[in-house]
Amino acid sequence: MADIKHDVIVVGSGAGGAMAAYELTKAGVKVLMLEAGRDYNPTKETPMFQSNGEAPLMGAGNADKDFGFYDATVDGGWQVPDEPYTMAEGTEFLWWRARMLGGRTNHWGRYSLRFSEHDFKGKSRDGLGADWPFEYSDLAPWYDKTETLVGVCGANTDHDDMPHSSPGVLLMPPKPRITELLVAAAAKKEGIDLAPMHRAVLTAPKDNRAKCFYATPCGRGCSIGAAFQTTTSLIPMAKGTGLLEVITGAMVRSVDTDENGKVAGVTYVDKKTGTDKKLTARIVILAASACESARLLLNSKSQKHPNGLANSSGQVGRNMMDSTGANIGAMVPALRNRPRYNEDGHTANHLFIPWWGHQAHAKGKFDFPRGYHFEIGSGFRQPGSWVAGDLQGYGKALKDEAKASYGAYIGFALRGEMLPNEYCYMEIDDKVTDKWGLPVAKFHWKWSEHELNQIKHGLETAKAIFANMGVDLGQLPAPEEAILKGGEIIHEVGTTRMGNSAADSVTNQWGQTWDCDNLFVMDAGVFASNPHKNCTLTIMTLAMRNANWLATQMKQGVI
Amino acid sequence: MADDYPKQEYEYLPKLSRRQSLKWLGMLATGAALPGLAAFSDKQAIAATTAGHWPEAKLSPITAKGYGKDPNLIIPPKTPWPRTLTPAQLNSVAVLSDILVPQEGNIPSASRLGVPDVVDEWVSAPYVNQQRDRVTVLSALAWIDDEATSRFQKPFTQLSTAQQIQIMDDIAFDNADTPPQFKRIAGAFSRFRSLVLAAYF
Repeated sequence: MADIKHDVIVVGSGAGGAMAAYELTKAGVKVLMLEAGRDYNPTKETPMFQSNGEAPLMGAGNADKDFGFYDATVDGGWQVPDEPYTMAEGTEFLWWRARMLGGRTNHWGRYSLRFSEHDFKGKSRDGLGADWPFEYSDLAPWYDKTETLVGVCGANTDHDDMPHSSPGVLLMPPKPRITELLVAAAAKKEGIDLAPMHRAVLTAPKDNRAKCFYATPCGRGCSIGAAFQTTTSLIPMAKGTGLLEVITGAMVRSVDTDENGKVAGVTYVDKKTGTDKKLTARIVILAASACESARLLLNSKSQKHPNGLANSSGQVGRNMMDSTGANIGAMVPALRNRPRYNEDGHTANHLFIPWWGHQAHAKGKFDFPRGYHFEIGSGFRQPGSWVAGDLQGYGKALKDEAKASYGAYIGFALRGEMLPNEYCYMEIDDKVTDKWGLPVAKFHWKWSEHELNQIKHGLETAKAIFANMGVDLGQLPAPEEAILKGGEIIHEVGTTRMGNSAADSVTNQWGQTWDCDNLFVMDAGVFASNPHKNCTLTIMTLAMRNANWLATQMKQGVI
Repeated sequence: MADDYPKQEYEYLPKLSRRQSLKWLGMLATGAALPGLAAFSDKQAIAATTAGHWPEAKLSPITAKGYGKDPNLIIPPKTPWPRTLTPAQLNSVAVLSDILVPQEGNIPSASRLGVPDVVDEWVSAPYVNQQRDRVTVLSALAWIDDEATSRFQKPFTQLSTAQQIQIMDDIAFDNADTPPQFKRIAGAFSRFRSLVLAAYF
């Protein structure tokens, strides 16, 4: 490896870090990327066709592999060995972390919906939370470029919650499944329209990445590059410029500043030797995931930054949000014993239920302020560690019941927008350190009435749709019971939010920290709100826009 | 054609490697403390059926490690932890799973597809859910043998088909009509049945 004297250090190799590295190297900037986890190569390591029957415990998940044996996540999940986190009394918060090159882009759901002007200006509309410091029209061309680069399949529709991509940007979506068509017919009776889900899965080949062959669950990763992950796209592409160096097994301990408070570089733990190494750079970009980047800032106190680096606003770790979530589903009698066909598709739902409530909200018809959507789980799947059905008795009748129930279950997963509140934040636990001696993150969490009312509405809507499919969901659980835990949806954002003012935000619209003009954040920490539409596409779009802005600033000698 | 084997001679042949089989036979010969072997006392076996009986479980803990957070996904580990079912328990699982999923035409029964191996791997695993299922499954197997002994003075695998079905009919249905003395076993058997079906398919 040639000795590259880098200008920029990027901490993190996931969605934001890899996009920043790619855009910067394309612009001629030398980048050093640090990744806490090990090197990981999907082309060699993805179990594309291994069956559940070949895996221990029929592929079932456990404390070692939370999302199942074949899930791509390495050395992580709900717990990272020797790297604990703590929670305030009364708080339940789940924090998913991976420790691998490419981070969580290796196993994510690939859902890629644009945020709209409606999403960016929530506070202007209802007075809650915070607006983003730019307009949708500023980001729209970058959404086009990101969707083109990443490869997103879907379709433009008339839904007012789903802004259009420019013509030719989206790849063709796959055909709806029988189960999804049934849901569409049932939802139509409630005045609700489904739409093709947008997913970062190729349905046509792109550069050296193959199109999806509709066979392998995306959570395993994708050795052919069809399901997007940075390890089969942005990282090798950036390396191809000759300007990117990647060091794995590097846990950043602190971001270091000079006597003037300007960022000078980082100190990281070389995990193999356990020793600290110091690096200098002109610019540092944090993209270690929202809570890890915030944790790093808070652990990087100095004389000029006594409350943590770039924390003059006191907002680092604050305004933390996840998505709301709830699951509800049932066996649909109409689907029993239906004809078998290959229903794998691109793994996730081909149709989903986008938020339909803008107009009703404008008329004040709801007792909750922000929207949600439903993802649909259904279809003939490779059998795993359980089979569906009312399994009684024994013999042929039992077997027939299992066969009749196969592919007859439909589940709705609600994903909604929460508001930031004063009870949801992250700080440093000064009593607990991890294996590297780093003080750990301590989480505080509490849902508000906004979220509980939203869940209640979602469950009632689901019940109405299922009734139209001939299913009585019976007594609905209370929203407090149904709402999934904080962190459980794995969409943590907001801990270093962007804004128009240094008084109440950590970065400007470019992800540049107010306090330190050569320090940037390019993960979801910068989100000013958490629309219900999954973060990753917008993380990458912001990173693309902001890395390009940064490159221009560097060329002009401003930074 | 029904796959009717003589009960007394039936022996399930687990899909172990020769090395593992020899290791197993060695453990049996030396009488080493096989978890589960001496776990259920015979004295608990006979109890008044009106009150219902439940075997007292004394299981030695499973101390094996799991496969860790970075296992080889391309070549999954075949035997990540030692198997703990005894030959007698494996036979019981085989007989029960073949009642649950018998041969149908040319389609093999559950035991012919190695379902008992899958159940063994499951209950021998060091993870929380599997440990919980281990207690459920081993209790169910012991209960069924206790019930067989109580009714017919023989363990379940040595009963005639008709006798086996008589017991099955009492425990294989877990609903509002289940008599109180069979409620608990019906629940445990339900979990066992789910495992067998998943392994089968």
